[in-house]
Amino acid sequence: MSQSDFKPQILCFLCNWCSYAAADLAGVSRLQYPPIRVIKVMCSGRVDPTFIIKALKVADGVLVGGCHIGDCHYATGNHRTKKRVLTLQRLLKNIGINPERVRLEWISAAEGIKFAEVVNDFTNQIKELGPNPLRMMN
Amino acid sequence: MTKDEVRNMAKDWLKKGVVKGVIGLKAHNGNVAPHLFLKAEEVDSLVLSPKYPLSTVCRKIQSKHPDIKLGIVAFGCDERALIELAKREQVNLKNIEILGVACSEADAKECRCERPYPKQLKIGEKVEGVKDERIDKLLKMNPEKVFDFWKRQFNKCMKCYGCRNVCPVCFCKDCELEQDIAVKGGRIPPDFPTFHLIRAFHTAGTCIACGQCEKTCPMHIPLTILYSMLRKDVKELFDYESGQDVDQKLPLNTTFEESPIKEETV
Repeated sequence: MSQSDFKPQILCFLCNWCSYAAADLAGVSRLQYPPIRVIKVMCSGRVDPTFIIKALKVADGVLVGGCHIGDCHYATGNHRTKKRVLTLQRLLKNIGINPERVRLEWISAAEGIKFAEVVNDFTNQIKELGPNPLRMMN
Repeated sequence: MTKDEVRNMAKDWLKKGVVKGVIGLKAHNGNVAPHLFLKAEEVDSLVLSPKYPLSTVCRKIQSKHPDIKLGIVAFGCDERALIELAKREQVNLKNIEILGVACSEADAKECRCERPYPKQLKIGEKVEGVKDERIDKLLKMNPEKVFDFWKRQFNKCMKCYGCRNVCPVCFCKDCELEQDIAVKGGRIPPDFPTFHLIRAFHTAGTCIACGQCEKTCPMHIPLTILYSMLRKDVKELFDYESGQDVDQKLPLNTTFEESPIKEETV
């Protein structure tokens, strides 16, 4: 598969209070960004590393979006997300998968532009990395 | 000899009534099994090898009889397991008397143990820990080769759940590895890498490096390499080492204030 033919599958876990609203704002503002799949969760702290591991079976990249530190609707949900995602990235690196396939971003409800930028940037990054070896195994 | 010293101390404890029973391994008809020694006369059949996660036995006894004072013959790994279980409120350390025994140099080498002695050392002398040379070898390989290595290793898996069942710090009643939503049932080998990565992630900040998983694995998957690497990562990220201090906060389910991130690089 040449690089131009490769259309990365990106799966996003977005938190109900910030990142999902940011995606909404990006849509309403008619900002352009590549196609993604979104799963809405009540808090980024709900994103169990198991979800990300499972998602990597079907997607080339996984984006987790949450509120900025200190702004979490549930006070400290995103603290846990940060720790878990960091640990998971190390684990993926240890078995030879590029940890950049998993990305954690803090996007507030007002940052529609940032959301579009992040998705654009992430898609380009995954395009450079090529298809996910785990996904190819299905 | 270490064995005799352990027997004498266990007898002493039972006679003086320091403890009601001592958990250890008992030789019986040429076999060895975990046993709760209640009388001093029995203790003559106490043996120290092979290694067995006695902390699991201790946890199960304590769940039924929480008020009984128990002694336990514990190597370094057993003591670490008890500390980790105590953090998760599975055992009560106040009712446990640890009979700490240091491992011999040969044992430490066989287990590739980095800390072959308990903190409450009662019998034997500390020996230096051994480094797992396989980790450095794997770290030098490029990612594609590493991925191939693990793919080959995990394809051998026959999903016997041995690694989980023997693990001294695994105690959940509903294991995620048995949920259909996480790992699809009735498939051998299990999905790569879901099964193994879920298990590996669950050991983060918990694994006490006893090496039982690898010894149990009928397919000889070098699981301790993966878990040791993750243990090293947790140490780097949160400056946390499992099985050292009961009062230390678990890094992965606490806030930044309770246990801060030391390093943010992936």
